[in-house]
Amino acid sequence: MQKVGDINWLNKHYNFRKIAFSIDELIILNVSRVKKDIIGFCGQVKMLAEGCFIPIAAGGGVHNIDDARSILKSGADKIVINTLLYTDPTMVKELVSVFGSQCIIASIDIKKNKDGVEVWIENGSQKIPKLFQEWIRAVISLGVGEIYLNSIDKDGTGQGYFWEVIKMLDFNIEIPLIISGGAGNQHHLLEGLKTLIVDAVATANLLNFVGNGLPLARDFLIEQGATLAKWNISDEINLEDYFIR
Amino acid sequence: MIVIIDYGMGNIYSIKNAFNYLGLEVILSNNPDTILSSDRIILPGVGSFYHAMNVLREKSLDIIIKESVLKYKKSILGICLGMQLLGKSSTEDSFCEGLGLIDCSVERFDQSKYPDLKVPHVGFNTVHIKDGASLYYGFEQDVDFYFTHSYRVFCENDEYVSGLCVHGETFVASFQKGHICGTQFHPEKSQSNGLQLLKNFVEKV
Repeated sequence: MQKVGDINWLNKHYNFRKIAFSIDELIILNVSRVKKDIIGFCGQVKMLAEGCFIPIAAGGGVHNIDDARSILKSGADKIVINTLLYTDPTMVKELVSVFGSQCIIASIDIKKNKDGVEVWIENGSQKIPKLFQEWIRAVISLGVGEIYLNSIDKDGTGQGYFWEVIKMLDFNIEIPLIISGGAGNQHHLLEGLKTLIVDAVATANLLNFVGNGLPLARDFLIEQGATLAKWNISDEINLEDYFIR
Repeated sequence: MIVIIDYGMGNIYSIKNAFNYLGLEVILSNNPDTILSSDRIILPGVGSFYHAMNVLREKSLDIIIKESVLKYKKSILGICLGMQLLGKSSTEDSFCEGLGLIDCSVERFDQSKYPDLKVPHVGFNTVHIKDGASLYYGFEQDVDFYFTHSYRVFCENDEYVSGLCVHGETFVASFQKGHICGTQFHPEKSQSNGLQLLKNFVEKV
């Protein structure tokens, strides 16, 4: 992982709101390793959410109903949780019952070693004594609505998703699965979307470091027959005018 | 003036953002007088049907909404759970009565019938539009909107169904009975397609 800048940086260098037309959904994660400042984070989410008419998932440091509510009030539609799945499963069930399954995304960070696939929490700083297959089952049983599976090994490499791990998912996953970590070009995204068990592909790399890679990647995917949503281009131009003012 | 009913269920701020973009005045409120003095009502909602109905009843908002729609003929748009609440009942958690403004009931997607079906149904999906529905004014036959839901609506009368979508089975994506509309999808999260639909609700319904 590499620090690049905050929301202002994002808008200044990449006209984020323009890029937002190339994605179906936005995931914002607070990966600060010091005590997470929910209020500050919510401020950033709010600034991003104001001009984005797509679903936004946000998380990092959510411990309770109030944290989740603050993030939702800032314009997010879904809450991403990770460490809490392990440290307080009862709270996870409560979040599901208050906000609904569709609102809670379980983020699972995995790392491969020679004996198998490990699950890590606390921004990938702490290993838990669970095998990742059993962990996925356990997390689904808490009632979460989606799984966001991230490979710590591949994250930031741009070498492609963690296929040897995804192949190990030989059981039925009843909820949507988003894969993350490693996508470096449009071919990686296409490979993911063509995989039956995978419902969505996430990328940060293509957004942060490759200029207009994201709009080009979307065009490529649609050309290759991936079923991505289409929206009216003329309205898109109007929206850009709106963002500039 | 458009009022978005603020009863603590779901992301009302993104709906407000969308109307603001369209240059339309919108108020978030759970105050009966404000609702009764509005021109149009948005009933948002994400989460549990049972919980949402309880909150509406506690604040007597169920009565206010029904009066506004039936007596004063104010146009209403229910979004996601808000659409489901306009129906007669749901089996979410346990059997629960809804507002009963449209003859429909709500049930969960049936994964026993379709073992590979993912529930919740999440993401953009194509809505097949019925001809002549004013909510879809200016749209082509098939349009993409954003969905996130585990329950779906069954209408007793096909006449009110204005849009259909397929997730394992065909389900009702939207209904419209005159000035009473509901969308299972989130127009406020559906890029320019959704903004156009919200504009239609204000200008055409």
